[in-house]
Amino acid sequence: MPSRILGLWCPDWPVVAARRRGDAPEDEPVAVLRHGRVLSASSEARAEEVTAGLRRREAEARCPGIVIVDVDPAADARTFEPVARAIECLTPRLVIDRPGMLAFPTRGPSRYFGGDDGLVTRVLDSVSSVGVVGARAGIADGGFAARLAARRGLVVAPGETPDFLAPWPIGTVGDEAMASVLCRMGLRTLGAFAALPLPAVIARFGPDGMRAHRLAGGEEEHPPALTVPPPDLVEVCELDPPAQRVDEAAFVAKALADRLLARLEERGLACTQVIVEAETEHGEHLARGWRHEGALTPGALAERVRWQLDGWITGGLGERAAATGGTTGGLTLLRLVPDQVIPASGRQLGFWGGDAAAADRASRVFARVQGLVGPEHVVTPVPRGGRTPAERVRWVPWGEMREPERLPVPPWPGAVPGPAPARVLVPPLPAELLDGAGRPVTVSSRGEASGTPVVLRCHALPLADGEITAWAGPWAQDVRWWDRRVWARRVHWQVVVGEVACLVRVERGETVIDALYD
Amino acid sequence: MAITALPSSLSDPARPLVLPRRDAAARAHLDDVSRRGAPVVLARERVLSIPGPLGALFPDGALQRGTVTTVGGEPGAGVTSLAFGLVAAATAAGEWAAAVDPQGTLGGLAAQEAGVDLSRFAVVRDVAKDRWATVVAALLDGVSLVMAEVPRGLRAGDAHRLVARARERSTALVMISASARAVWPADAALRIWAVGGPWPGLGPDRGVLAPRALRLRVEGRGVAPGVRTVAGPLALTG
Repeated sequence: MPSRILGLWCPDWPVVAARRRGDAPEDEPVAVLRHGRVLSASSEARAEEVTAGLRRREAEARCPGIVIVDVDPAADARTFEPVARAIECLTPRLVIDRPGMLAFPTRGPSRYFGGDDGLVTRVLDSVSSVGVVGARAGIADGGFAARLAARRGLVVAPGETPDFLAPWPIGTVGDEAMASVLCRMGLRTLGAFAALPLPAVIARFGPDGMRAHRLAGGEEEHPPALTVPPPDLVEVCELDPPAQRVDEAAFVAKALADRLLARLEERGLACTQVIVEAETEHGEHLARGWRHEGALTPGALAERVRWQLDGWITGGLGERAAATGGTTGGLTLLRLVPDQVIPASGRQLGFWGGDAAAADRASRVFARVQGLVGPEHVVTPVPRGGRTPAERVRWVPWGEMREPERLPVPPWPGAVPGPAPARVLVPPLPAELLDGAGRPVTVSSRGEASGTPVVLRCHALPLADGEITAWAGPWAQDVRWWDRRVWARRVHWQVVVGEVACLVRVERGETVIDALYD
Repeated sequence: MAITALPSSLSDPARPLVLPRRDAAARAHLDDVSRRGAPVVLARERVLSIPGPLGALFPDGALQRGTVTTVGGEPGAGVTSLAFGLVAAATAAGEWAAAVDPQGTLGGLAAQEAGVDLSRFAVVRDVAKDRWATVVAALLDGVSLVMAEVPRGLRAGDAHRLVARARERSTALVMISASARAVWPADAALRIWAVGGPWPGLGPDRGVLAPRALRLRVEGRGVAPGVRTVAGPLALTG
């Protein structure tokens, strides 16, 4: 039987966090966006039918005057740190799933605080003492049921968890594709799914089905065979001189995370729960657990460690340290302890002999070059919508998420036509575009040119200095006319001088060569 | 006990076995796919095959790993497109590539249009001059093709070290020299100069630019020196 777990849920944490750090007003409707879709909305916004998954424009249409904030997971984690510290006064074994949701086993604390109900009251008191209202806590057997119980604010008696889970919709197991298939089979609740024989579920859905079946039946997500990892997997790094800033410590943490997961991988293990431990130069010892749905990847692990260090260092340095329970000095030691490991399910190699070793080698070298020149200078291009060549590419630092906003990029009205220029000049080269009489060619607000361009003058680019043999344009753009701060009116010409083609831009009376078709 | 003959379609002389017939265009397409699909073809992993029109420039249609190829020409003559064509060939073969771009002017969209697989391509920008050789040497360790611009005043010693490193790591090094003052001071297996070419599609106040055919001058081991025209577009379409 799975152990008793208490789940604590702060609803709409992204909104609460944005309000707590002052990014959003208290009494007005607020929505937090991720990738252009509503992730979370305040109660005022929900009253106007703003729901998760809406586009920004739909949300603004349903609720005029709504305040839109972009999601900031790192800041959300930092804002959640006081809540975690308040709970840490009650139990040392808490594990954070994500900012806004945490869980801990109740075995010790429940008896100490006078039963499950007493513990829930204590937890909610602690949370409201740091100024967070509306939190809910619930207790059940196993982490999955506890998190659902937290949504209802229920204490499920020992042994009654399968009955508690039975009426929940099948979508709660988190695998959308499987849930949709099960719905079409007529299995709409967890109870109906749990009643299926396990071999039949494995035969149809494989390991994912087994995991979902265990959850639906109120068991632990993974079989508890390998929950205690061998002690030599702990990764430690001493910091000398002590790290005062988050980025110094996070840089070390990234290497540590890579090393830990590489060693786990050698043993065919993957990690789902990790404890981040740190010591400071004043002898403080800090520890906090983080959990992840599925296995932690190096990027996800490094991100969580960074959030945690951010919470300790930013929330703690200086005189506020004593009050908030953070660090008072630089970090001298960093330790990553894998708390829960599972057998790795393996990974699929590329079809054309896609070489995983080559990818590893390349990523290592790019990370090393990032150490040499700075992480933001090793980039990879990601196409996106836009009108000018510079707008149509987003340069993403290596190792960060590089999903384009949409794939493939749809046709973009007003984009400069033709092939993309191979050189986008930064900064653009000053030039002059002259007509037959030697006057600069200007463009009226209706997009009409004052004359035909005949000569291009550019001292920095001798080959592009001379008679124009072919041209196209002018293409006028009214850039963000609705926002006076960034509003601009600009005109593009495609110009060929001899055998050199370039993209010329005229903006506020200044002519520059923006790009070179090299 | 009588044994009856089994019905056999294989031995039926009235229906001879015929493989599906393919026309010339389908065959050419298949050849191209097979050449690009295989991660590395020819001569025991020592070459990067260059498909498409660019391959005609190289001995055996392939870029030798561990060697240096220089690509020179005035700005606007097609140097960058040519280099992107080589990067595209490397990434299409499933290899990783990197570019060093001190000024940060490479067009990412042009790279994609040239056929570069952006998921296996990274650019190092804004590199200080004193770090340039270190960065290129580090990249040579991890990827199969490094494209870098020769900085002005590159010391011959640094260049020789990079040549040795490239040979040791079996990495192709493509050096771009964009001006007469930034010349690769060491030896190279192949030197290509882009001489430019007329731009089709655009006339006085009509049409828009279309991909052009590039005139290139080649010189090096295993190729006849001379000017070639590589039909545009260089892009590995399809």
